[in-house]
Amino acid sequence: MTSAVTTPRPGGTGGATAVAARARQVVKAYGSGETRVVALDSVDVDIARGRFTAIMGPSGSGKSTLMHCLAGLDTVTSGQIFLDETEITGLKDKKLTQLRRDRIGFIFQAFNLLPTLSAIENITLPMDIAGRKPDADWLRRVVDTVGLSERLKHRPNELSGGQQQRVAVARALAARPEIIFGDEPTGNLDSRAGAEVLGFLRTSVDELGQTIVMVTHDPVAASYADRVLYLADGRIVDEMERPTAEAVLDRMKDFDARGRTS
Amino acid sequence: MSVLKTSLRNFLAHKGRMALSAVAVLLSVAFVSGTLVFMDTMNATFEKLFATTASSVTVSPEGATDDETPQTGRPETLPAALLDEVAKAEGARNVQGAVTSLSVTVVDAKNKNVGPTGGAPTIAVNWTPNELRSVEITSGHEPRGPTDVVVDAATAEKHGLKLGDELRTISVTGDFTAKISGIAEFKVTNPGATLVYFETATAQRELLGKEGLFTQITADAAPGVSDDALKANIAAALGDGHKLQTAAEAADAGREELAGFLDVMKYAMLGFAGIALLVGIFLIVNTFSMLVAQRTREIGLMRAIGSSRRQVNRSVLVEALLLGLVGSAAGVAAGVGLAVGLMKLMSAVGMELSTGDLTVKWTTPVVGVVLGVVVTVLAAYVPARRAGKISPMAALRDAGTPADGRAGRVRGGIGLALTAAGAAALVAAARAEEAAPGSAWLGLGVVLSLLGFVVVGPLLAGVVVRALGVVVLRVFGPVGRMAERNALRNPRRTGATGAALMIGLALVACLSVVGSSMVASATEELDRSVGADFIVRSGTGQPIVPQAQAALEKAPGIDHVTEYRWLDATVTDPRGRKTEEGLAATDATYMRDLRRETTAGRLADAYGPDAMSVGSDYATEHGVKVGDVLTVAFKGGKPAKLRVAAITADQGNVDNGAMYTDITTAARYLPADRVPHSLLLLAGAKDGQETQAYQALKDALAPYPQYKVSNQADYKKDLQDQVGQLLNIVYGLLALAIVVAVLGVVNTLALSVVERTREIGLMRAIGLSRRQLRRMIRLESVVIALFGALLGLGLGMGWGTAAQKLLALEGLGVLDVPWPTILTVFVASAFVGLFAALVPAFRAGRMNVLNAIASE
Repeated sequence: MTSAVTTPRPGGTGGATAVAARARQVVKAYGSGETRVVALDSVDVDIARGRFTAIMGPSGSGKSTLMHCLAGLDTVTSGQIFLDETEITGLKDKKLTQLRRDRIGFIFQAFNLLPTLSAIENITLPMDIAGRKPDADWLRRVVDTVGLSERLKHRPNELSGGQQQRVAVARALAARPEIIFGDEPTGNLDSRAGAEVLGFLRTSVDELGQTIVMVTHDPVAASYADRVLYLADGRIVDEMERPTAEAVLDRMKDFDARGRTS
Repeated sequence: MSVLKTSLRNFLAHKGRMALSAVAVLLSVAFVSGTLVFMDTMNATFEKLFATTASSVTVSPEGATDDETPQTGRPETLPAALLDEVAKAEGARNVQGAVTSLSVTVVDAKNKNVGPTGGAPTIAVNWTPNELRSVEITSGHEPRGPTDVVVDAATAEKHGLKLGDELRTISVTGDFTAKISGIAEFKVTNPGATLVYFETATAQRELLGKEGLFTQITADAAPGVSDDALKANIAAALGDGHKLQTAAEAADAGREELAGFLDVMKYAMLGFAGIALLVGIFLIVNTFSMLVAQRTREIGLMRAIGSSRRQVNRSVLVEALLLGLVGSAAGVAAGVGLAVGLMKLMSAVGMELSTGDLTVKWTTPVVGVVLGVVVTVLAAYVPARRAGKISPMAALRDAGTPADGRAGRVRGGIGLALTAAGAAALVAAARAEEAAPGSAWLGLGVVLSLLGFVVVGPLLAGVVVRALGVVVLRVFGPVGRMAERNALRNPRRTGATGAALMIGLALVACLSVVGSSMVASATEELDRSVGADFIVRSGTGQPIVPQAQAALEKAPGIDHVTEYRWLDATVTDPRGRKTEEGLAATDATYMRDLRRETTAGRLADAYGPDAMSVGSDYATEHGVKVGDVLTVAFKGGKPAKLRVAAITADQGNVDNGAMYTDITTAARYLPADRVPHSLLLLAGAKDGQETQAYQALKDALAPYPQYKVSNQADYKKDLQDQVGQLLNIVYGLLALAIVVAVLGVVNTLALSVVERTREIGLMRAIGLSRRQLRRMIRLESVVIALFGALLGLGLGMGWGTAAQKLLALEGLGVLDVPWPTILTVFVASAFVGLFAALVPAFRAGRMNVLNAIASE
């Protein structure tokens, strides 16, 4: 079995460790006895800081569960998860909520925005909730980067799907979280709009030094990442650095074939 | 069949929401059926009472009234000799002479009134074997001598009376004291009266003034003789001049007497049932609208696979039918419980009603269920139609949140037109010159403006919620802003939810304005017209007995005591037209105690010998001028010719339209025992001795607890308390409407929470804490409640003001808006909102973030 653990080394982001989040022997199981289903089976993983990590795998492989656990949305059955040096497994809801609010950003596949709030209000929402003032310069930079300056006053239903996802990206970036989790962020978009959003994610990693973890089943989307982790049956079975769409596709075909013959 | 199955499934799938709506149906049906059960039980109880206790035939003096307390303080009587004549009638058995007086007050050794407090009378009677039909002596013995008295067990228990205790009986013939010789327990329902029994001669002497008199003579029919036949026989034996009643007639008369009181209760309760029903309709309409909105996709799918509009429509109506059936069935059951509760309440105020007599006619459940079902189905009709209009395309669309239900312009136009028409009608009512058309305008104005507000509600919701947002919500930052936006999302829903609350609060506001204006107007009038320092009244409508008056007159510091006696008379005007009038026979000092304006003549002259005054309305109507002579035939006395010496201006409430004459004038035309006693006394203190005089009067009245003396300040306070108590009862009943409205708010919020599951999940994922989430939902609830309150209070104050202007014709001259009450209600509404949000907010907080995100 391949482990996704890398040797910790001093990172490029000012003294902090190079690992933004790590999972140690994480097990997530549903039910018990006969009906026990193991979604994550003793997973060890390190998410490198300042890099773009994609998690791939067939349906039911546990990739979304892994992301939810890493992000503090879901609880684990056993094992530990650290965000930077903070262990988040075992935290109470209140602490977890604060952690998500202050240190984590989210981009979901769909329904990322509150329909009653305008684009800019949606972008600043996590900071509003926290009662923090957004950093005006940073906000402007984020908004410019995702190219939404003209549409800030619009309500979500006045924006296209691609624009809505860009607002979601901007929201995730605006609070300067330590790590952004994307759950198939381009799953609902056509290829052009998808490319746009992925481009922004890439840019934010390259230019803003953001750490991003994205779950996807699209090889093209995965090719934007620095590193791809493959999950199957709740385990990390492979990984690939500097992927290309073709390479990812080939690897997936491999798994498929192996899955069928075994 | 499949329609029914789908409906049933849906119904069961939404148990919680349906339960809330069912409660609304339940409450209104419970009120209606509770009223019916209570009325039927009362009737049955009294039928039984009269059937068991009344003699076959009762002979009373002509002119005797059944239970009114005569102002002379003496019941009409029959001579004892009549007993023999009745006994001679064919078929008469067990002929008994009865002495009954309701003009008594009985006090214990500590001068405490042992009579009932709930308005029922104290009845003093002579002991005859007939009494054993209704009571049995449970301890001691029947009254045997002049110092024996038997008291009913309920009274004895309530006042801690034992055998041997002394009771003082106060009547116009004087006070007399007797010792309790026995305690009598009722075998039948005692409608709340206190009963004391004396030996016959004592009763005659002390209650009627001399022996040898009875107030009734009763006879039973011999076997084979019908009551009617006996009545005819006795009538033949006695000749004219007597009132004869069979047991059945007595029962009817008794019931009729009760009917007046019961009718008031019945209509009041049905009125509140109606309000609860009206508010319930909003709740039902809202529930079904929300259910339909929530199921849009599902219904679209059904349409896509071939359901017709009618089938969809019908499936919603069948759900409503189920709801109506469940709600009203439970309502009927709750109604019986309510009736039992009412009976217990009646017992608490002294009217003993046995739950053993509980009468549920078959019509009661039928009426309840039909009402509940019809109302529910009607209320669900609009949402059902909307469901039918859902296009099959809805199945294909992304569900997300339902589109913002924008309030249409047409709707706004209609609403504004209705509101304007209502406002115009209210203005017309306020300006009306006569009461009858004015009331019609008022009614129309109330209905139209209510409808208008309901229709225009969604539009107003936008405006009002935004305004409230600026004032209230901004304090809460982004959470407040989101609450505001959420409340604005579906103005129709917010409007309907708020409207339900609006109705109850509008009535509260209207009544409190009217009530407060009543107090203010009366106070203002008292200040303007009343010069007396003190007023002495009885709480029970009993005239003031001479011994009490004598005690008052001896009180130190008193300048004068003014008698006020009310005389019934037939007055013939100079043109020969006869009318039944009441004359106020008073001392001349009355002019000082109550300042009256005159339009002609001097009021002082009306207190001269054989003089009187009339009101200006009478003078105009009958063409009477100062100097004209009227023929006044006093009831029970000789006709007098009295000269009109003054005409008083008819204005205000106090003594409006009264005719005045001096007591000495009236006394000359009436036998001494026919002169009524004072209804009330007014008194003035010597200058500077007001405080001492007040205390002295109170002390003087200590042995006569049936009377109460008040100075002007206390009198005003009493007035205020009375109005306040009345209003409290009404508020209590309106609370029902508010409870239903709160259920509506709960319902709306619960559904909003479900609808926004994904949104809530998203917000929780990006860091909204449970507390913030709960606060957001609570704020939304508060805003909806305040919206309803603002509309309701505004509307109600409008109604109240129009009503006051209209009632100004009846003397309600001062408009007084009770701002503290209004403000309290407004603030309380905010708490109502908080309360309504408790469960929905709790449930939203408990939502699992992941499920919320994953859910559709």
